Amino acid sequence: MTAFLSHPAGAGLCRALLMAMLLLLPTRAHAQTDVPVVTRTYALENARIVQAPGRVIERGTVVIRDGLILSVGEAVDVPFDAERIAADSMVVYAGFIDGLSHAGVPKPKESQNRDRPDDPGNPPDDVAGIQPDRDVRAMLVPEDKSVKDLREAGFGAAHTVPHGRMLPGVGADVLLGGEKPGDMVLKGEASLFAQFQGARGVYPATPMGMMAKMRQLYREADRRHRIAALYADNAAGIERPAYDAVHDAFFPVLEGRKPVFFYADEALEIRRALRLQRDLGFPLMLGGLAQTFDVLDALKEARVPLFLTLGFPKAPKQAAKAKKDSVEAEMAAQYDPDIRTATYRDLEAEQRNLEARQRQSREQYIRSAAMLHEAGLRFGFSTMDVKPADVHKNLRLMIEHGLPEEAALAALTTDAAELLGLSQSLGSVDPGKIANLVVTTKPYFDEDAKIKYVFVDGVKYEFDVTEKKKAAGGKPGNPAGTWSYTITTPMGEFGGTITLEGTPDDLHGTMTSDQTPEPLELQELTLEGNELSFGFDVPGMGYATAYVVITGDEMEGALTIPGMGDAPLTATRTGGPR
Amino acid sequence: MKKTTIAPLIIPLLMLGVTTAVAQPRVGDVLIQNGTVLTVTNGTLPETDILVRHGKIEKIGKGLRAPRGVETVDATGRYVMPGIIDAHSHIALSSVNEATSPVTAEVRMEDVTNPYHIGIYRALAGGVTTSHTMHGSANVIGGQNETIKHRWGYKDPDALRFEGAPRTIKFALGENPTRVHGKRGGGQGKALRPSSRMGVEAVLRDAFAEGQRYKEAWERYEAEKTRNPRAEPPPYDLRLETMADILRGDILIHCHSYRADEILMLMRVLGDFGVKKITFQHANEAFKVAPELAAFGANASVFSDWWSYKFEVYYSTAYNAAILTRNGVVTSINSDSGELNRHLYHEAAKTQKYGGLTDDEALALITINPARQLGIEDRVGSIEEGKDADLVIFEGHPLSVYGVPQMTFVDGVEYFDREKDPDDMRLFVDPEAPVGDGMIETARDAHAVERYDGRLGNH
Repeated sequence: MTAFLSHPAGAGLCRALLMAMLLLLPTRAHAQTDVPVVTRTYALENARIVQAPGRVIERGTVVIRDGLILSVGEAVDVPFDAERIAADSMVVYAGFIDGLSHAGVPKPKESQNRDRPDDPGNPPDDVAGIQPDRDVRAMLVPEDKSVKDLREAGFGAAHTVPHGRMLPGVGADVLLGGEKPGDMVLKGEASLFAQFQGARGVYPATPMGMMAKMRQLYREADRRHRIAALYADNAAGIERPAYDAVHDAFFPVLEGRKPVFFYADEALEIRRALRLQRDLGFPLMLGGLAQTFDVLDALKEARVPLFLTLGFPKAPKQAAKAKKDSVEAEMAAQYDPDIRTATYRDLEAEQRNLEARQRQSREQYIRSAAMLHEAGLRFGFSTMDVKPADVHKNLRLMIEHGLPEEAALAALTTDAAELLGLSQSLGSVDPGKIANLVVTTKPYFDEDAKIKYVFVDGVKYEFDVTEKKKAAGGKPGNPAGTWSYTITTPMGEFGGTITLEGTPDDLHGTMTSDQTPEPLELQELTLEGNELSFGFDVPGMGYATAYVVITGDEMEGALTIPGMGDAPLTATRTGGPR
Repeated sequence: MKKTTIAPLIIPLLMLGVTTAVAQPRVGDVLIQNGTVLTVTNGTLPETDILVRHGKIEKIGKGLRAPRGVETVDATGRYVMPGIIDAHSHIALSSVNEATSPVTAEVRMEDVTNPYHIGIYRALAGGVTTSHTMHGSANVIGGQNETIKHRWGYKDPDALRFEGAPRTIKFALGENPTRVHGKRGGGQGKALRPSSRMGVEAVLRDAFAEGQRYKEAWERYEAEKTRNPRAEPPPYDLRLETMADILRGDILIHCHSYRADEILMLMRVLGDFGVKKITFQHANEAFKVAPELAAFGANASVFSDWWSYKFEVYYSTAYNAAILTRNGVVTSINSDSGELNRHLYHEAAKTQKYGGLTDDEALALITINPARQLGIEDRVGSIEEGKDADLVIFEGHPLSVYGVPQMTFVDGVEYFDREKDPDDMRLFVDPEAPVGDGMIETARDAHAVERYDGRLGNH
């Protein structure tokens, strides 16, 4: 990026882009601020109201006034000034709560060529990533895209933390709305955020360095805290304790008023955070958890608030493809732990087995929410490692893998609020609470449920729920036409043309190559959204399958040839309909 | 959560491992019948049985009967030896070098023990039951090492800990720390001490002197506190606290070294600071100063025949271990490698070709001697009643080229059996990494992977 910027032509392009963005900005700001707010009172009428998991009003009304929930019930008075929303057949939930994220905190750019300090063993605190004295409240930007994206996914509040390395700063509980940074803040000084993210080339760079650094900081802070108490009690005869921002940032933690909130996704990191807590005795919360299935006993014993990631490992690119996640599970079940083969005798059998094992591993991640639930552990969720747009899909997968719907809803609302200490003001649809609500077209966990409204702090956000054409992932159009393709293999590149004819629902086509001018008939041509798959017989080699994603006039994907593995396939449309 | 004691005061307790939530690893019962028992400390016992109860060797003798419920293993025609101990290893670690400072005494390998590492299982297949997992050699004073038992299958790192093993720490002399810290340049910050062997000595003396002052400051505070409840504790420093612990004799030093002059240098430094417990690791030129090592009471842990991989390692001999042994130095042969540790018995056998050591002397190099160097000789390292049942059954004598480990036991629990050794023994599979990543296809690739994995940058 730096190289791009320094290039004169690149710089020119950048300027042009910047200008375009500047021109766009005022219009957007206008649209948000210039419309006068007619009323701050709303009534959602005739809705199914899920006040909390297991507490449902089948047909009732929710009244919101001045940012708070005024009343909830089957027959409540609707104030004269209310904007009445006909919510017939819709479902109202409490706004979702995100236990750990960077919501509203723009990611700072890290310079690539930072000079290494003269003494990498003793770097300045900011270079070392030791910044517990920073406060996320000073970094909040309500217009940041992360706020909008999370809100669209149903989240009304989040525990948000600064970007950084080992100790990035102090987190806050924020509402995902508002115009000024201050509007967002629900509770400041919520946590001291920590993660096993080593400094680059300076101390502490490794997990063991960070463990030692945490012990050093905490115990020295403890000593300073003690002397500060002696001094406050009676200053006579005690040398004035010097102020030190980094150590003093630990004082609220030492006093038990603020937890250390550790991001730990892998099992070993979770254990390291727990080990530090055992050694040092600070109040602990854990977030971004992924590999919990390997640490269930330790988590049971630790009894600390847990926030599980809503993201899953990416499905690996494998020779055998599964279209649906349920099929993934079946393929995973084919793993044979006792297989003993000589690789050179049966490579395919070994590969198949290893892939099944890998699928099993992924299944464990998807099942981990259900496992936590079965172990009797309460948890909320974290969006640190997930695209907000995937939240609904992933929750459904968790439920498919054994997490009861009520537990999923509790993790999004009541349990999250309780674990964060926010249940007085958030987490359920009850009078007196902050008006954070999600209104869906169908029960939220249904496959085709859409979020119609989100209320944050009593402000209404409305979303377009009209059914889009089947092309969710991209713009498929009609893939028909002539495509010039390239396949890259260890033996070199091969090319030729693919000709596709017909309509998206009824495709047929042929393929030629440099080697075989005789066209091969494409079989099993299917188009889903912008994803195209097909197969063909390779003379003397068996049945090859291809899977590509189409973006406009480009396709990109892979070709799987039996016994040879995957080869990248790219193609460009050279003729025919667009 | 109110704190009522000063944290540093409770550290010694923590160091003793007084923590909750430590998994209790399994212990096993088994009767190994009719094998040729290589006790190492008590000669070879033909056609002898070993009865293991609750993870300990309860009885060694002939015609032992298995108590009810205790499985028997027929070792007729086979050899039983104590589990091999590797005094220098970097397996099962998430990170090896905190290479950012010449002194990092405060970091601990036990914080980064990785029980998922397949190297543990591979070591078991080579009959190795205990490894000394060490910090790397980037720093003059590296981190504190960890002694583990190869209890494969546990996912809690604490379950691998050799409970009760003394604390040890890694030191490093010569080219590695001078290259890492003293030869910086090219815009990577300025060069630091040490950039010479003299600098290495100065770093050591400074670190010990600072540790001494730190120790004294805290002792003064402890004394004053009894008179004055308002006494202020001096600054806390985990690095210097560790140096003070070395001075107190609570931590054994294991020092990466090659040349005779630097070996003598460290013994002088330690003598000046009253530190006694030292094992020189690699120590290719130790044979030149064998009598001096013996007089100091220092140990040596060496390679059988590996050298010439950098300038300071040219003057070497395969007779090193034998010369040291004959001079009364407690000597072991280590692997420092996730590949070499699978045939340490052959490494030991080389001392019979080069130096004519007896069977017991050669086997001691990979069993009771490394146990002594790690301070665990009362628990492991030989087949004796009352010791931990860490045992290996061999087909063929372990010092013969036909020796192949068949079964490996830790605490009487079978963790490796050649008969039950399927292709995929991994405890965890990354769901995102494509199958085939890191696949070893040829012997040359295997070598490359090992170099990257273990050897590179650690010697």
